[in-house]
Amino acid sequence: METTAYQPEEEVLVNNLKSGNQKAFREAVRSYTPGMLAVARFYLDHASAEETVQDCWVSVIDAIQTFEGRASLKTWLHRIVANRAKNHLRKNKREISTDFSETLDPELAERFAPNGRWAKPPSLKSNESAEALMENGALCKCLDHHLSRLPETQRSALMLYEAHQHKSEDVCNILDVSASNLRVLLHRARQKIFLMVETFRETGEC
Amino acid sequence: MLMCRDLARIASDYIDDELGVGKVMSVKMHLLMCGRCRSFIGSLRASIELMSAHSGQQVNEELVRRIDERISESLRTRNAGTTKPE
Repeated sequence: METTAYQPEEEVLVNNLKSGNQKAFREAVRSYTPGMLAVARFYLDHASAEETVQDCWVSVIDAIQTFEGRASLKTWLHRIVANRAKNHLRKNKREISTDFSETLDPELAERFAPNGRWAKPPSLKSNESAEALMENGALCKCLDHHLSRLPETQRSALMLYEAHQHKSEDVCNILDVSASNLRVLLHRARQKIFLMVETFRETGEC
Repeated sequence: MLMCRDLARIASDYIDDELGVGKVMSVKMHLLMCGRCRSFIGSLRASIELMSAHSGQQVNEELVRRIDERISESLRTRNAGTTKPE
């Protein structure tokens, strides 16, 4: 028996999109564009990524008729963007270069002694919750700043996995990376955020 | 024996339950004895949660406006094409 991967409320949205309801498109654009942009930015520069996402939405007006719900709408949209972005890359003969050989961030790596123990241990308390950290507006601004400075490959992996809650398997398919390389991208990005939060809490500076 | 640096390399895999049973046991043993690594894992976990809670819903308003306009235009053109003259 074939099952659908999407939820009842998504089914209503999809049906409205299929009937060309403009309000439904507005709702979908607002909900799904950030994730689609994260996918496009994995492959493309900022301007090309925005253009690709715009073109995708226009193509979705017709393509939505073929949507059968075998994946969620989010995953379906992200795959469309990834395919378009990859085609764009091929046309422009560009390749993505990412170093997957080292899992430790260089800044963190320097904090270990030659014997492998901490030389400069973490200064954050381990019991500080995300809620407590989120209450600090300046920290959130600093987080935005650092997220924007992450290498695109790391940021896209992070956005899809953490913020848009894709399964690892889906992220690997959408971004065309192996499971082990996805682990490297995620871990490198997370260490950067850990270091940022630590510095901010220690010095008050971003 | 697992050292602090080794643990830092696989900390995300541990947090996401992506390690094999043997490796998980090594990490747990190490964490029992090492407060610094417990602090690191706890802080890394809090950073991940912070980022998840913070970064999901950032919308580029200008881009959304441009997409809305293009969709409206395409829907108008499509509807005009399918409307039969009386």
